[in-house]
Amino acid sequence: MTSDISGAPPSAADLKLQFAPFSSALEAGFWHQLTQKKLNDYKLDESPKCIKGYYYNGDPVGLPTRLTLEFSAFDVDAVTPARCCPAVGTLYNTNTLDAFKNIDKRALLEKEAKEMWNAICSGAALKEQSLLSRFILLTFADLKKYHFYYWFCFPALCFPEGIKIIQQPSLLEAVFSPKQVIALQEAYDDLCVTKGNTAVPYFLIKYTDHTVQMAPLEDWESFFTMTKKVTVGFYDPCTLSQHPGWPLRNLLALLANQWGSKLDVVEVLCFRDRTLQGSRSIQHSVVFQIKLPGLSSNSGCPKSVGWEKNAKGAMGPRMVNLSECMDPKRLAESSVDLNLKLMRWRLVPSLDLDKVVSTKCLLLGAGTLGCNVARTLMGWGVRHITFVDNAKISYSNPVRQPLYEFEDCLGGGKSKATAAAERLSKIFPGVNAKGYNMSIPMPGHPVNFSQATLSLAQMDVEQLEKLISEHDVVFLLMDTRESRWLPTVIAASKRKLVVNAALGFDTFVVMRHGLKKPPASRGVDSSPSCSSASSSPSTPAGSAPSVPGSSLFSNIPGDKLGCYFCNDVVAPGDSTRDRTLDQQCTVSRPGLAMIAGALAVELMVSMLQHSEGGYAVASSSDDRMNEPPTSLGLVPHQIRGFLSRFDNVLPASLAFDKCTACSPIVLDNYEKEGFDFLSKVFNSSHSFLEDLTGLTLLHQETQAAEIWDMSDDESI
Amino acid sequence: MSCGVVDEEEFCRCCRLLLQHSNGVGDGWSWEAVRGSDEGYLKKTLLRSVPAERSVPQKHKEPGSDSEKFDYCHLQTEEQEKQGVDASSDSLRPDAEEEDDGVCGAPAGSSSVLQFEYHILYSCSYRTPVLYFRASTLEGRSLTLEDVWRTVHPNYRLGLQSRPLDAITQQEHPFLGQAFFYLHPCRTEEFMKPLLQMARDQNRQVNYVLSWLSVVGPMVGLEVSLECLKQQQLHPTTPQQLRVPLRGSIQQPKTL
Repeated sequence: MTSDISGAPPSAADLKLQFAPFSSALEAGFWHQLTQKKLNDYKLDESPKCIKGYYYNGDPVGLPTRLTLEFSAFDVDAVTPARCCPAVGTLYNTNTLDAFKNIDKRALLEKEAKEMWNAICSGAALKEQSLLSRFILLTFADLKKYHFYYWFCFPALCFPEGIKIIQQPSLLEAVFSPKQVIALQEAYDDLCVTKGNTAVPYFLIKYTDHTVQMAPLEDWESFFTMTKKVTVGFYDPCTLSQHPGWPLRNLLALLANQWGSKLDVVEVLCFRDRTLQGSRSIQHSVVFQIKLPGLSSNSGCPKSVGWEKNAKGAMGPRMVNLSECMDPKRLAESSVDLNLKLMRWRLVPSLDLDKVVSTKCLLLGAGTLGCNVARTLMGWGVRHITFVDNAKISYSNPVRQPLYEFEDCLGGGKSKATAAAERLSKIFPGVNAKGYNMSIPMPGHPVNFSQATLSLAQMDVEQLEKLISEHDVVFLLMDTRESRWLPTVIAASKRKLVVNAALGFDTFVVMRHGLKKPPASRGVDSSPSCSSASSSPSTPAGSAPSVPGSSLFSNIPGDKLGCYFCNDVVAPGDSTRDRTLDQQCTVSRPGLAMIAGALAVELMVSMLQHSEGGYAVASSSDDRMNEPPTSLGLVPHQIRGFLSRFDNVLPASLAFDKCTACSPIVLDNYEKEGFDFLSKVFNSSHSFLEDLTGLTLLHQETQAAEIWDMSDDESI
Repeated sequence: MSCGVVDEEEFCRCCRLLLQHSNGVGDGWSWEAVRGSDEGYLKKTLLRSVPAERSVPQKHKEPGSDSEKFDYCHLQTEEQEKQGVDASSDSLRPDAEEEDDGVCGAPAGSSSVLQFEYHILYSCSYRTPVLYFRASTLEGRSLTLEDVWRTVHPNYRLGLQSRPLDAITQQEHPFLGQAFFYLHPCRTEEFMKPLLQMARDQNRQVNYVLSWLSVVGPMVGLEVSLECLKQQQLHPTTPQQLRVPLRGSIQQPKTL
C-alpha cells in the first residue's frame, strides 16, 4: 500500500464519504493574458466571461488536487493538454477592489449551483458532462501595482445527510487481478479513442474475472440492464488513498437524482493513471462502494459549497504580487542587473557589483562630459545620479550632449541640470536622478557686489557642501578651471572620492584626486616614510616614499596623490574674462568628451573594485605588464590622452604642499573659517591664495622671469 | 561523436526519439517549434513538492532584507489590512453559515508545491544541449535566482556552487527573450566525453540528449527514469532509422 496521507480512517460504523477539494493553480501566463484582456478587450466591462482550465490524474502522491489555468484559459477552443480533462468556468473580473469585496459570493455560487441542478434534473448534464465540473473565478487586477486578487469556487451539490460508505476505499490492485487491471486500462484507452479524446471524465464499467467493458456516461440506460450494483468510474485528479477528488461530487448528485431510488450499491472507481519511472500504471486507482441517497427534483436545489480556502486555510481571497515579473519598470531594472551580473558570472567572477550600483554620484556639470558620464554610469547600473549646472540648453548642445534634444532648446532652453535628470528617468525609470540648477562660486569671480549676491553665494556654497556630503563620488565636469576649485576643497575636506575630467582640443586628462587620510589619523600617522606634504616646506614634491629603486612617481599611495590644482603654480582666477567667444566655448574634437567621460566612470569603477578604494596605490604605464591590482585591472592616478596620436599615458603625481586647493593650509582655513574664508577667495585676485599657500614666496625664490598661464582649458 | 559534443542534426534526432518514447508513456515532453524557423526546443512542465525549508520563504524575516520582496504572504495580509479586505467580513465568507462536512482535511503543509518548466535547447557555441528552466508558485509568481538555489537539494548545491561559475545562472531565453535560469554548458563536454567513450568501448549506442539529461536534470529536480534509459529504441542505431518530422505530428501527441 502506498502511504496514507489522510491518516487512519475512523471507525466503520457510519462513515461518510469525503472529497478532496480542488486547489487552484495559476501559471504566470494566465495573469499576463488577463492583463492583456483587461487592457484591450474587457476594459471596464465587468460581465462574466467564459474561461477554461484543466485537471490531471497522473500526479505523484503528495501533490494537491489542482485545477490549472494557463495563458490559453481565455481561448475556449484551445486544445486541452494531452491526458487532461477540461473544466469550463466563469470569470468575474471586477473593476475595483471594493466591487471584488462586495460582490455577493453566496449568490454567485447559488446561481451556478442552480444551473447545474437544472442540467442534472433535465438530464442535460448526462450528455454535456462538462456542466458537472464548472468553476467560478473572481478576480480584481490592480494593474498599477501588478497585484492580482482572486478567489476560486468549485461548486458542488451536497447531500443533506452525506453519503454512506459501504466498503472502504482500497487500491485497485487489491481488488482487481493483474489481468483485470490490464483489461481495464485497455478498455479505458479504447473509450478514449471512441470519444476522440485523450481523457474521459466520467464512464461506466462492467467487469467479470477476465473482462472489462466500458461505456460513456450517456449510455447508462442501454449499458446497465440491472441496477442492484453498478460501477462508475471517473477521472480522478486526487492522489489521496482514502478520498476521491472533487469531480466525483456532482456526478454522484446526477446519479442520485436520475437513478438514486433504483440503486442499491454504487461502486466507484477513482481512475488514476500515472507514469512513474518511465512506465505507466493505474494500479494505484482507488475503489470503494457507497449507498446513494435519493435526490429528488421536487425537493429543490440542494445546498452548495465550493469557495476555495486561501493559503492560510481560511475562507478568503488570495493575492499574488507580480510586479517583479510584469511591471515594465521592474523588468527593465532586472534586465539591467542581469546584464551586469552576466559580466560577473562569465568574465569577472570577483566583480563586486553592489559596490558600483550603490555608489551615489554627484556630477558637477551637465554638459558634454556630464551627459557622457551619466550614460556610462547608467550602463554600470548606478542608481543615484545628481546633476549640478547653471546653464540652459542651447541650440548647439544636443548634437554633442546626448541627454538633450532640439525641443529642449526652445523658448530660451530648459535648465540643463533638471532636463538631464528627467531624461535619465525616461531612459531608465529605476534611476534616482535629480538636477540642481545652481552656480558654483569661483575664485576671482567676486560675489560681494551686494548683500544679496553675497548671501546667494553663501546659499550656493551650503547647498554644494550638502550635496557633496550626501554623495560618495564627485565628478568634476565643468568647462572652466576655477569652477573646480570650490568642490575640490570641499570634497578634500570631506574625504570624498573625486574624479576629474577636462578637455582640450584633442587632449584630455581624467584623474582621481588624492584621498586625504581621515582627519583623526593624520596626526598619529606621521612616521618619516609617509609624513604628509605639510611637513616639508620647500620641496614641492614633499617626501616621496623612500622605497629603494622606486622613482619619484611610482607606487604613490592614494592619500599622497595630487589633485587637479597640485601641478599648478598659479591660483585659479577668472579665465573667461579676456577670452574671445570661441575660446569661451569648449572647442574639442567631438569624440573626446565620450572617451574622457567613459574613462572617468571606468576609473571610478576600477577604484571601487580596489580593496583600498581611493587609497589605492596609483598604477602607472609601467604597471601594464604586471599583475593588476583589481579584477578589472589597473587603478591609475591620471589618464592623459592625446587623440592626435590615439595614445594614452598614465602619469601619477604627488600632492603639492602649496596646492591652492588641497594643501593643509587651505583645508585648515576652510574648515576653521568656512564661508568667510571662501568669500575672501572669491573676491580677491590670484595673490590671496598664492600668498596663503606660499606660492608667492616660491615664485620669488625661483625668480621665474615669466610664468605662462599655460592653458585655461585643462590640457597639458 | 569523436568527442564530448553533439551536432545539431544528431541533437534533433535524439530529441525525436525522446519525444516518441515520451508520447508512448505520457512522460510529458513536447516539441515547441519556433515560429518562422526550423528551430525549436523540448519542453516539459513538472510539479514538484519542495520541503518547506527549501521552498520560497513564507515568513517575514528582517525588514529590508532580500527576502522581503518574496514574502507574498506578508504582503497579502498587509495589503488586505490596508485595503480593508477583511477575511472575517460576511461578504467574504460565503460558506460561513454552513460548514461543509463533505471535505476531507488537507494534508499538513510541511511542503509546498512549485511548478517547473524545463526547456532543452541546442547551443551552437558549445555544441551541446542546454537546460533552461523557470519556476513559479501555484499562484503564478516566478521564483528568483535565490529562490531557485534554495530549491536545489543541499547535496547538489555544494557541488554546483563550487564550480568556477555558479552553475545555475540567469540568462535570456534565446527564443522567448524572457529571463530563464539555466545550467551553464561549459562543463558539458567534459562529463560527456568519458560517458561516450565508455559506450563506444562497449559498442553501445547512446542517446546523447537522454544521457546528458540524466546527469544534469536531477540537479534541478528533473529525474530521468532508469526504465527510460534502458529502452533500447531510444538509442539511435542508424541515422536513417527515423524520419519523423519534428514539427506537426509530434507537436500534438494524440496516441495513448
